[in-house]
Amino acid sequence: MSSFIPMGPKVAVLLPEIIVFGGSVLVSIVGLNRSKTLRKSVPLLAVCTLLAALVAIALGYSNEAAEQAGVLMPHFNKIIKTIILVVGIGLVAISVGHIDRRMEDAVARGATTFDPMRVVRGEFYAFMLLSICGAMLIPGSPDLIWLFLALELTSLPTYIMVAMSRGTRRAQEAAVKYFFLGAMSTAVFLYGFALIYGSAGSLQLNTIQKVFSAQIESGGIDTLGMTGFILCILGFCYKLAAAPMHFYAPDVYEGASNPVTGFLSFIPKIAGFSALALLLTTVGWTGHSIISETGTVVSGLPAPILATLWMICALTMTLGNIGALLQKSVKRMLAYSSIAHSGYMVLAIIAGPGLGFEALLFYLISYGVTNLAIFGALSGLQKRGEDVERFEELSGIARRYPGLAAWLAIGSGSLMGMPPLLGFWAKLMLFMAGIQAGHTPLVIIAAINSAVSVWYYLRLIGVPSFSPPGTSSEGVIKGPSSWPRFAGAVAAVVVVLLPFFASRMLGNSLDFSPVRPASTVKPVNTTTEHVPTEKPTQAFDTALQRSPHVEQAQLALHCSPTRL
Amino acid sequence: MMSLLCTSDTHSSAHAVVTAIVNAIPSPELSWTGWILSLPAISVVLTGLCCALRVKGKLPGWITVLALAGSFALVLKLYFLRGDAGAPVVVHLWDWMNFSWGDQSKWHSLQADVSVYVDSLTLFWLLFVTGLGTLIAIYATEYMESDVGKGYSRFFNGVSVFILAMCTLVMADNLLLLYLGWEGVGLASYLLIGYYYKKPAAVAAGKKAFIVNRIGDLGLAVGIWLIWVNYGSIEFNTLFQVWQDTERGVGGFDKSLIPYCLMLGAFGKSAQLPLYVWLPDAMEGPTPVSALIHAATMVTAGVYLIARTYPLFALHPDALATVAWVGGLTALFAATIGMAQYDFKRVFAYSTISQLGYMFMGLGVGTTFGAAYHTLTHAFFKALLFLTAGAIMHGFAGQLDLRKLSGLRKVPGFKIVSWTMLIGCLWLSAFPFSAGMLSKDLILVQALSINNHGFVWLGWIGLITAAMTAYYSFRVWFRVCAGPVFYVAGEDNHDDHDAHDHAHAAHPAPAAHAKHEFHPHAPRWAMNGVLLIIMLGAFATGIPGYMELRGQSNWAQVMIAHSSAFAGSVQAHVTDAVNFGMNPHQLVEVFGTIASLGGIAIAMYFHLLQRKSADKLRAWLLAHNSIRWIPVAMENKWYVDELYHACIRGPAWIAGHILHFTDKHVVDGLMVNGVGRIPSALGGLFQPLYNGVLQGYATTMAGGSALVVAWIVYRWLVSGAAS
Repeated sequence: MSSFIPMGPKVAVLLPEIIVFGGSVLVSIVGLNRSKTLRKSVPLLAVCTLLAALVAIALGYSNEAAEQAGVLMPHFNKIIKTIILVVGIGLVAISVGHIDRRMEDAVARGATTFDPMRVVRGEFYAFMLLSICGAMLIPGSPDLIWLFLALELTSLPTYIMVAMSRGTRRAQEAAVKYFFLGAMSTAVFLYGFALIYGSAGSLQLNTIQKVFSAQIESGGIDTLGMTGFILCILGFCYKLAAAPMHFYAPDVYEGASNPVTGFLSFIPKIAGFSALALLLTTVGWTGHSIISETGTVVSGLPAPILATLWMICALTMTLGNIGALLQKSVKRMLAYSSIAHSGYMVLAIIAGPGLGFEALLFYLISYGVTNLAIFGALSGLQKRGEDVERFEELSGIARRYPGLAAWLAIGSGSLMGMPPLLGFWAKLMLFMAGIQAGHTPLVIIAAINSAVSVWYYLRLIGVPSFSPPGTSSEGVIKGPSSWPRFAGAVAAVVVVLLPFFASRMLGNSLDFSPVRPASTVKPVNTTTEHVPTEKPTQAFDTALQRSPHVEQAQLALHCSPTRL
Repeated sequence: MMSLLCTSDTHSSAHAVVTAIVNAIPSPELSWTGWILSLPAISVVLTGLCCALRVKGKLPGWITVLALAGSFALVLKLYFLRGDAGAPVVVHLWDWMNFSWGDQSKWHSLQADVSVYVDSLTLFWLLFVTGLGTLIAIYATEYMESDVGKGYSRFFNGVSVFILAMCTLVMADNLLLLYLGWEGVGLASYLLIGYYYKKPAAVAAGKKAFIVNRIGDLGLAVGIWLIWVNYGSIEFNTLFQVWQDTERGVGGFDKSLIPYCLMLGAFGKSAQLPLYVWLPDAMEGPTPVSALIHAATMVTAGVYLIARTYPLFALHPDALATVAWVGGLTALFAATIGMAQYDFKRVFAYSTISQLGYMFMGLGVGTTFGAAYHTLTHAFFKALLFLTAGAIMHGFAGQLDLRKLSGLRKVPGFKIVSWTMLIGCLWLSAFPFSAGMLSKDLILVQALSINNHGFVWLGWIGLITAAMTAYYSFRVWFRVCAGPVFYVAGEDNHDDHDAHDHAHAAHPAPAAHAKHEFHPHAPRWAMNGVLLIIMLGAFATGIPGYMELRGQSNWAQVMIAHSSAFAGSVQAHVTDAVNFGMNPHQLVEVFGTIASLGGIAIAMYFHLLQRKSADKLRAWLLAHNSIRWIPVAMENKWYVDELYHACIRGPAWIAGHILHFTDKHVVDGLMVNGVGRIPSALGGLFQPLYNGVLQGYATTMAGGSALVVAWIVYRWLVSGAAS
């Protein structure tokens, strides 16, 4: 297989991942050092690694090289990697001071001496970097094997992270659950991959795309391939924490320590969404809508896949929000909230062409940053050396820690979609993408869900800020390190300010994915509405000039080059 | 003088008047105008850092002064680059919002970028906002010195936020950005009114200002929404073209509602009836704030809003008449209260409300130039008055009672303060040939010359108010600055006794005898210098008025005439006789002079020559039951606060408690706990799904997946409807 692809561009494209991988090795060694200063520098090393990878992307990444290396969506690949790295830096920061907390305390007290056998800090950050590395590999996968391995590289370290993040039995129980159920979901999408291979006869995503285009042209994707796709989507649902694979989330999120929960609610999610987007691209899900020769707009997604996603979307939002309503634990609440947000994001996948693509990316950024603000604040607190996780424990902490309460409030406001904050714009874009793609009923469901969610998000504002301090919140003090609080502060500021600069963030969002020539796609019987063709705008013309397939492409964006 | 006025009848033809609003030119080369906004923004960040790092010293003050001076310099550069009559330009700074969906025919797009719309109206406002902002910031570096190391950074942070928001407001090229600035100035005002946050009155005043403004802001928000829905855009450039077209501009209930909504916003921000109640209380803030925000700049945002959307208002004559009448009545009403206050900062606050009333009257009767010009002159003389009041407060440990201060012009160090205050009072009382008279007369002449909507009556109300204004402004000056030297130190309204300490440091005296040995703390160079500069500015603002009077073209007139605000304003027929066989010019000239001099004369009698007679008059009024309500009601501000308390705050309080009860017992008690019981009631059905047992989860997940696959296979694949 690799004979198809020249090695040079591939290495250039993979340089960030190589750096992150190298960093993970380095970190795991340094973490074992006897010197306390060196041991403490492990998170810093991890952050430096991620920064180096960011620099590598900024300087070394080119869409042409990526396309040569077999990457289906070069620009998408770049954006996803950047998001993962930037949020990853924050995730490393919020975990500072949590790992080995007891052991370091004991060493400092002189109760015990340093024992390399018992220290886990290095491994923890190494696993973190490995998981980030796995997630970064996903959007650029050229074939199914790669995709499978990358997904596993994302997930396997997280199982261990859950277990080692906290010394308690609950964490170990959560890890075991997470692992077994994860293995099951892996089996589901691996079976799906096998069926797709059976139908398309190739593992190369490029080839699969061609084969399925031809199949669609001649009447539809065959049963084997379609079943494969459905199974893949269901398998990925586990990574997204979407129905029907969402059951694990509350237990696992509750069992893991706060920073790890923050990690779990973002990295596997973005990994799952990029895998989903990548896979669906092979059956017509592109960044653009395509106008066929008869003038109809082809959304690209075949009806069964659309129906599956529709169902997943509606169910996930609703179950997530209903589940979150009555939780007493902040983390369980956030777990259900994370489920609900996956549901919203599936709406972006469904809306697909045009705005949907941008909405997905913007929502991922918004969710990632907001998540950091909340988990940064939660990780910045402790009670008797343990995580703070119940609402009562947060009650009235605004009087002692107004900053932390403010970040919780900003994060919570953004998650519920309160106007000037980042989350509002993300939801606005998402809903408009949904309306534009003709999925108004789904948007209405999402809007109702969003309204319901205000109920429980307001508690996260109200309890810390307005409730009187109670007996259970008395022992709550600041955490051992100020890095989580700092990361939370930065994230909160970003949540407030980013809306003003958002248009620059997504940049030239028009060329997210290569445009397939319309001649390969005939009008197919999809459930998408037929939106009337409009006059190409000037922006459309510039898009055409940028497109590598300008001669054959007959595409129109049925939105202006919308940027937030 | 009269002949001089008569020659000016033809002046309107002397100026080139725009009939249509020119389409704004996109001017990327002017992108440096973004720095007018960026400099205050940088100052916000730096002073915020000073706050966080607890900087001791005057650094934050000078950062702010430098940033604002930079902004002012850029505004001047822009002004000299464009001239008075330059065409409007749009400078695109960066994309902000650009949505579109569905078919493009209706309101299916929303575009609002962070762009700057600069026309003469914007420049007019920017000139005095940044100019006065700089001067007042310099003044505040000295005024706030007792708070150095404590609230000093916070204060200048608030001032920077304010200037940033105010510049955004006047430079916005769309209503959404304008709204952002609008809320920003409201926030800055709230923060600065509540600057002395340990003082309950200041905290309450801050809340009051914020809440009363919310009512107005709701109006503005609804107005913006209606504009977007009805006209499909919120960008001024597009809207002006639509509003010039009567066919598209009017029609339907929605569209006729828009000016009233915007008006409500303007009345809230500019403290007009019925939403004026917050402004007098806002005097709890530090005095430079009162001068900058609550006299010179922020409160004119309402005037700016209506001037900016004037083409829309011109389509709705009834709405304009409403603006005029609300303005006129506010002017009169506030003046009656101002006559009976003893706190001279409050007197100036009520005079601000009254003068803003004149501006709205000017807008309503159709002279946008008069309104804008009065805004300019008022900005200077009212800033001057507040800053002198601040200097007196600073020197006399917060003393504000005009009965406890007298003869300050003879107190060493207070000469400049007294004489600049005299200039301010003369300008405020529309003394003949002062800038205040020139601008006010433009409005009154216009009102008297329009025989429509009862505007002539409004003109007479304006003249009566002018007499009251002259009386109350000189009541302050004669009491405080003239007469025998006498003063009582105030309680010092700072949160602790720094001003005392400071005064003692300057003039060593035993602390035990603070009251007897009190030495006024005279203002130094920063305060005196700023007072003199603003006084010169107050003189200078008269120049356009003189030129206008002589029928000459002048920069202020040309600027307003070349902005969107001029479209739709009315040209009055000033030659027709109205009352007493005189034309409006002559009427205003004669009666305005009588009002001004008469008011000053009465004030002089009661408050300089025969001070005891003022008390006697009051006693006499109070002794007669049939008329005793007049002084009582005026001193108690016509009981409006009490009325609002009874009508709005009371019911809101009761409603709040009912809602709280409902929330606690009905919602929490029945619904939450009730909903909470549903899962346990249906436990047998749902429990196995979330039982925390691994196998259970696995079964459910596998079962769910199997159901989905089975359904898809049946629905599409087996039934043959594969796509």
